[in-house]
Amino acid sequence: MPHRFHLPPQLVRIVLLAGGIVGSYLVARYFLTPPSFGDYGFYRGAALRELADHQPVYAGRKACKECHDEVVLKLEAHEHKNLACEGCHGAGQAHSDNPDIKLAVLTYSHCVRCHEKNLSRPKWHKQIVSKDHYAGSKCTECHVPHSPNEVP
Amino acid sequence: MKNSYSRRSVLTVLGAAVTGVLASPAARTAKAAVQKVLASTGAAKGYDPTRHKWVMGIDVNNCIGCGLCAEACKRENHVPEGPYYRTWIERYTIAKPKPGSGDARGAATVESPMGGMNGFKDPELSKDEILHSFFVPKLCNLCQHSPCVQVCPVGATFDAPDGAVLIDPKYCIGCGFCIQACPYGCRFLNPRTRTAEKCTLCYHRITKGLQPACVEICPTQARVFGDLKNSGPDDPIQKFYRNNKVQALKPHLGTEPRVLYAGFDKEVS
Repeated sequence: MPHRFHLPPQLVRIVLLAGGIVGSYLVARYFLTPPSFGDYGFYRGAALRELADHQPVYAGRKACKECHDEVVLKLEAHEHKNLACEGCHGAGQAHSDNPDIKLAVLTYSHCVRCHEKNLSRPKWHKQIVSKDHYAGSKCTECHVPHSPNEVP
Repeated sequence: MKNSYSRRSVLTVLGAAVTGVLASPAARTAKAAVQKVLASTGAAKGYDPTRHKWVMGIDVNNCIGCGLCAEACKRENHVPEGPYYRTWIERYTIAKPKPGSGDARGAATVESPMGGMNGFKDPELSKDEILHSFFVPKLCNLCQHSPCVQVCPVGATFDAPDGAVLIDPKYCIGCGFCIQACPYGCRFLNPRTRTAEKCTLCYHRITKGLQPACVEICPTQARVFGDLKNSGPDDPIQKFYRNNKVQALKPHLGTEPRVLYAGFDKEVS
């Protein structure tokens, strides 16, 4: 009888075991890899859409302009032209979706938020010391917020 | 020779079996069913991330420290109450050197009370003691070589093709490696979800054609935002590039940020 090479049985078992492990890994990977994985890189492409699906809270000036065209045009003609509507009036997506939901009532704290004198503020920015600047009167008695240079 | 299995025959049979199972329509149906449970499919509607490259420019000389950006960010992204900020403002105050010390500048202090959300009071030093005081808005620097992406052990954080560095909250295990790796301190562990969180450039806004909340709300255009792949010469970001000597934070780290600064003092890092 010619000599025939046989794998030692312990090696056969190891090879079978390794094959089993690799096979079950391949099966698991086939089933568990999300379909969008690798769309853009080594991550789940669907994560981009999930992050993009969140709803905004701030609507942006374009949305304000749709209904409040006149006010926005007035604002854009004066010094406060670069201010966001929602900077003073507060976040407006809810109001833009449903006009019955009113925006917060304005106080004067948002005027001094930017214009109170502060040593760290750049010199070009107009600043006042509110307790020395006609204390006790409202800002709007002398200034029109949408057109600061106009006298009411 | 009775019933001898050669390695070759066993492997062939095994391989064929696995391929057969995977290729069969039944497997495909099963795969779809499993994945329906695990994750939703598809990319963002009407938005192709490969066609954009977002950058942000910050002109330090324009920042008045009003804190509207930090407040807007917190509301827009539902960031939890407490010391968690996706963007915040720092105030640098550099004192005058002590007379006779021979130094060019005194000690610098950096502060950010409540992330600057409620604005800043006057610095502790008086006007005569201050050499230079200014505000620096900070956020994720959108590195092109992000340390946070390199260290994530589960591949939950990644560089999106449009330049945003994002976190997949379903993959994040909250280990916090990325928080340690970020050289700019831009990440935190959300105490509610127990996952890492950071600035997404308001990804839900920029994909809808809006600006990030901090840029939208900034009253002095200290922050400008733009798309390098779709910008004309009059775009704010192109003007920012033209008119300023553009700097980055910690350039020696080689992270190559896409958030660029103009006009800051050498003390800023």
